[in-house]
Amino acid sequence: MVPLAIARQTVREALRRRVMWIFLICGVFLIALGPVFGFLSPKDSQTVLRSLGLAAILLAGLFITIVTCIYLIPVEIERRTIYTILSKPVQRFEFVLGKFLGGFAVVFINIAAMGIVFLLMIRFQEGKVPADMYKGVFLTFFQMMLLAALTIFFSTFATPVLNFFMSFGIFIVGNLSSVTESLTTSRVKATQVAGTLIHYLLPNFGNFNIQNTLIHPTQEITNPDVFIRQNILYALIYSAVLLILAVIIFDRREV
Amino acid sequence: MAAAISIQGLTKKYVDVWQKQEVVAVNNLNLEVQEGEIFGFLGRNGAGKTTTIKMLLGLIFPTDGDATLLGKPMGDNEVKRELAYLPEETYFYDSMTGWDILDYYARLFKIPEPERSRRVQICLEKVRLQPDAWRRSIRGYSKGMRQRTGIAQALINDPKLLFLDEPTSGLDPIAHAELRDIVASLKDEGKTVFLSSHQLADVELICSRVAIIHRGKLLTEGKISDLVAGDYAEVVAQGKELNSVIGQLKEFAPGSEITGGDTLRVTLPDDEKINAVIDVVRGAKAKIISVVPHKRTLEDVFVETVRKEDGS
Ligand SMILES: Nc1ncnc2c1ncn2[C@@H]1O[C@H](COP(=O)(O)OP(=O)(O)O)[C@@H](O)[C@H]1O
Ligand SMILES: [Mg+2]
Repeated sequence: MVPLAIARQTVREALRRRVMWIFLICGVFLIALGPVFGFLSPKDSQTVLRSLGLAAILLAGLFITIVTCIYLIPVEIERRTIYTILSKPVQRFEFVLGKFLGGFAVVFINIAAMGIVFLLMIRFQEGKVPADMYKGVFLTFFQMMLLAALTIFFSTFATPVLNFFMSFGIFIVGNLSSVTESLTTSRVKATQVAGTLIHYLLPNFGNFNIQNTLIHPTQEITNPDVFIRQNILYALIYSAVLLILAVIIFDRREV
Repeated sequence: MAAAISIQGLTKKYVDVWQKQEVVAVNNLNLEVQEGEIFGFLGRNGAGKTTTIKMLLGLIFPTDGDATLLGKPMGDNEVKRELAYLPEETYFYDSMTGWDILDYYARLFKIPEPERSRRVQICLEKVRLQPDAWRRSIRGYSKGMRQRTGIAQALINDPKLLFLDEPTSGLDPIAHAELRDIVASLKDEGKTVFLSSHQLADVELICSRVAIIHRGKLLTEGKISDLVAGDYAEVVAQGKELNSVIGQLKEFAPGSEITGGDTLRVTLPDDEKINAVIDVVRGAKAKIISVVPHKRTLEDVFVETVRKEDGS
């Protein structure tokens, strides 16, 4: 499969980038700090470890995803390695798909690495790993998949620097779903229209953060498995739409 | 013989948004390249050679016009199985080895193992990249080694039609000669080569037909032997009795003249009558000063053609 060959090459190149390793090391370091902080406040040690760990995975994952994916396509155009690829029997959608799969594989490897460290820490400290912790890491995968698709979509027309701010900004706004939701019922018409557009059009990244309920067991989601399944489906569909749009733009792009 | 490349009215305009200027990089180009020929696509820097090739390969899109490659409309994905492209400068993932980069490109053609490794090896051997460099990263390659890798890359799918954009520019004389010979050898394998170049000596050596493009416009096209037709030879001799034979000489060479009383200058349209002229001159007891055959080269044709266009 052509996209897989491109994905494989993409992973090889991306794993060579130092900046990715720096964020990974920072992430692992933060997770490892959990027990230290827990030791300082023994009463909340469980909450500290859990919240710090999931936040570290999210934060490091966020940066790794963006700094990896902003470059995947532009660098091939800038270095003109794309000439020898697209002049071979590689269709442009296969190229975009290969780049996405490669980018996501890199993100997957990183989150898996941090997730394993995190789950080992919990196991070490609490004696067992609650199923919810797996689910927390698992949802982060899909959150980052959606972010990777968004960043790759932008990369078909935006420069890496601009893309960095756009992806980062949308990730932040997309995490504030309670804020954007409140805008949809605003009494000012303009705010309401804008709020509705933002709330329903921008990817809802906030939905993937189930940390709060995981960390504070008193806050219940009524049906967690349905909630998780819906979020996964949401990430898959939204990513697919973004990739289709990316292909439509990239198909018309001169390289 | 069928046409490997057929171009109809191909045009590319670039609009400079800032200066509101329009650059016509390629202007209504019509061209046919036959299967099995090495076709020289000549032009100065900025003439529109690279732009033409990039349009044919679907990397950029024409403003107007159309083309077929091997009978299929350009941009067709299946026909790309039979194509190869060596870009003007070879751009690689520098951290990869020569072997790995070829392996990657072979994967894009879905060539399975063990055929893939075999193809990679054949191609690397064919371009004579030293085997000890195969597993070294491209970062440490010289320009010649990179160019060899570039040509190996173009051969990976055993293509029928190759687009080579200035494959020998900027190489040392040995690498230059070797790569030129590799390109020449493609003809024996029945491949069609579209060779963009301004290295006219090479082109004259290996191409059968050429086209000259200038500022996006096709100026001339044809067989090299036809284009360079018009050789002449010049005989210069000295002797007091030459005046008596000038009438005889004017029969072969109307442009014969005597200057300074005893110096004869004869210009002949070809070298067939040189001996006859020499016989007459020696019969008049004159001394031959020089016999110089002037061969018209592709360079002469190129310079004349381009100058004429610029003058008009
Ligand atoms: N992307 C572009 N934007 C604007 N002008 C361009 C672009 N690419 C090429 N040109 C112009 O088109 C002309 C032809 O360029 P090119 O095809 O690269 O020439 P060659 O390969 O014969 O040296 C040049 O004048 C060049 O400046
Ligand atoms: Mg060029």
